[in-house]
Amino acid sequence: MKNNLLKKIVAGLLTVTLTGAFLSGCGKTTDVDNGTSNAEAKTAGYRTLDEIKESGYINIGVFSDKSPFGYVDENGEYAGYDVYFAEQIGKDLGVDINYVSTEAANRIEYLQTGKVDIILANFTVTEERAQEVDFALPYMNVALGVVSPEDAVITDLSQIGADDEVIVISGTTAETYLTKNYPDIKLQKYDAYAEAKTAFENGNGVAWANDNTEVIAFAIENEGFEVGISSLGSADTIAPAVTKGNDSLLQWLNDEIESLGADNFFHKDYEATLLDTYGKDYEDTLVVEGGKVEE
Amino acid sequence: MQNLGIDVLFKGTNFLRLLQGLWVSVEISLISVAISIVLGLVVGALMTSENKLLKAILKIYLEIVRIMPQMVLLFLAYFGTTRVFGWNLTAEAAAIFVFCFWGTAEMGDLVRGSIKSIPVIQYESAAALGMNRWQTHFYIIMPQTLRRLIPLSINLITRMIKTTSLVMMIGMVEVLKVAQQIIEANRRTSPNAAFGVFGVVFLLYFIICWPISRFAAYLEKRWA
Amino acid sequence: MDTNVITEYLPLFWDALVITLKIGWQGIAVAFVLGLLDAAILHFQIPVLKRMVGAYIELFRNTPLLVQLFFIYFALPKVGLSLSAETCGWLGLGLLGGAYMAESFRSGLDAISQIQVESALSLGMSKGQAFYHVILPQAVSISVPGLLANVIFLLKETSVFSTISLMDLMFTAKDLIGMYAKTTESLFLLVVFYLIMLLPVSFFGTILERRVRHAEFGD
Repeated sequence: MKNNLLKKIVAGLLTVTLTGAFLSGCGKTTDVDNGTSNAEAKTAGYRTLDEIKESGYINIGVFSDKSPFGYVDENGEYAGYDVYFAEQIGKDLGVDINYVSTEAANRIEYLQTGKVDIILANFTVTEERAQEVDFALPYMNVALGVVSPEDAVITDLSQIGADDEVIVISGTTAETYLTKNYPDIKLQKYDAYAEAKTAFENGNGVAWANDNTEVIAFAIENEGFEVGISSLGSADTIAPAVTKGNDSLLQWLNDEIESLGADNFFHKDYEATLLDTYGKDYEDTLVVEGGKVEE
Repeated sequence: MQNLGIDVLFKGTNFLRLLQGLWVSVEISLISVAISIVLGLVVGALMTSENKLLKAILKIYLEIVRIMPQMVLLFLAYFGTTRVFGWNLTAEAAAIFVFCFWGTAEMGDLVRGSIKSIPVIQYESAAALGMNRWQTHFYIIMPQTLRRLIPLSINLITRMIKTTSLVMMIGMVEVLKVAQQIIEANRRTSPNAAFGVFGVVFLLYFIICWPISRFAAYLEKRWA
Repeated sequence: MDTNVITEYLPLFWDALVITLKIGWQGIAVAFVLGLLDAAILHFQIPVLKRMVGAYIELFRNTPLLVQLFFIYFALPKVGLSLSAETCGWLGLGLLGGAYMAESFRSGLDAISQIQVESALSLGMSKGQAFYHVILPQAVSISVPGLLANVIFLLKETSVFSTISLMDLMFTAKDLIGMYAKTTESLFLLVVFYLIMLLPVSFFGTILERRVRHAEFGD
């Protein structure tokens, strides 16, 4: 708490000085050109592996409303498949973990602005994203899926009428995929998982398109819904991501994933966090062990 | 009440977390208002200056605050500053920065208004009593200005508390985000939690803001 | 900043502007009607209704629009009341705005001295006529600055619509940042479009305010 308060005071003082600087800067000098700073400092940079270790903490971006992958339980603790892995990373690095709650659309932004060191938020590896961030080895398989109400199951995208709306979450692969390949389908977009799911439950859209892991979990956990399309688009993987160019951390993560593979870590992770939802059936299709995807 | 999902609030530490989330909002508002009052006094005094350039700049500043949604300012402060200047503000610092940017303008304008509203005769009387300019400001004008400002700045607190609901959008875990997390973690057992939890959040905001705004109204009437 | 990206995104922002303005003005229209009605009820001290209006104003002035929208959009369907996102948008804005507009109208109504009403009545006007021909025009002109401030405030508040899946300006910017990570360009366009939307309102407001003042006080 003390540390927290200190941070706030510092933030407050910073604000005062910044505002002061802004005002006095404006008041006195108008001829000084401050356009020079714009071009250079494009990214705020990242913290290398050594810097993280030295500081004693690591910032990991996870979902806080995407059960069972990343969510907050009733005691206020982060939990889920991604979080289980994050805990292990913290332990092996010997540092404390500072969880940062992200939304799908913020994930790239958080890395590029150095606000988190690692994104472990069910982040699907895509070509577009790989241009913006660096992905480590994968730890889960994923494709897209579409869930719809039992009494009006959508088994093919052609069933979606011109006025029907499909719910997606802003910044997810489902959104990009549908926008690109099915531009005629009307999308209804939400920022957060909790919002999208509640809206879907309330009947605001004819279907919800997302990672198939997520829609399968939803159909299992909520009565009256069925996954009509369980695999859409290409088979992708989910991997941790770091800021572009942060090679030391990337290398460490890859080594970590490989060595954890030797202990069957991700199977244990599955059994601890996903078994309740998916049962045994999905274990081998979902889990990627040691960073090696089986064809 | 089972089917309305109020029960989830009594599970684990859920309700406590909701209150902690609310405190995050209140805390940011209080810090921002405190800073805004101080800066607003300065800016307000500057606004009464005769310097044309200074006046124009402050006018632009006021206009920006007047027409830019706070949400846009938050995005600019949180994501924009990192991109353009390479600053890396935490969500909290960005929020406080934006709220002060906004609050200072509002307070400044109020200060300017109340300074202007003090009749010239008071300056003249003070001068007649032999006070210098500084004394006049400090002993005569300031106390009256402050008295007018207090109810208005209390009002600003409630407006800020209400606006803090937006900081969820830049990743801060405040009361609404906690509400979503609770709904999400209990979706299977209480599918109707959205009603109870959002309803309670609605009431919590009211319970915090209503007394504060009543108090401000009371002071305004009494001191007017 | 990449100008190609900006030209590519431009049409998206125009569409978003249309949606924002459409729902924004619908909400403001509702707010005007609701505010005037409430102010009249409060001004004439109509029993029972007066209390209800008072409670409504306090409730909506002391809670954030975001929370109001969440409640209307996500929570009410749980008890069987399901509204489309667009309806929620203008309804929420209208309810919030009504509470603010009511206060502005009321301050106008209360400023008209009782003697004017008495004079109007003694000239043989009915109560309704006195209200419509004597009180209302003056009250509106006194309320104009407050009402205009509310209009700008409400148009700004539309930025919250993005959370209930309405593709307004804020949403478009957030969405583009999420999909393509072109943050600088998206934020730039966002600011420009809010200026396009609100500068004319602010400018027009200043002129209108001056004219109203002129009508009221002369030069």
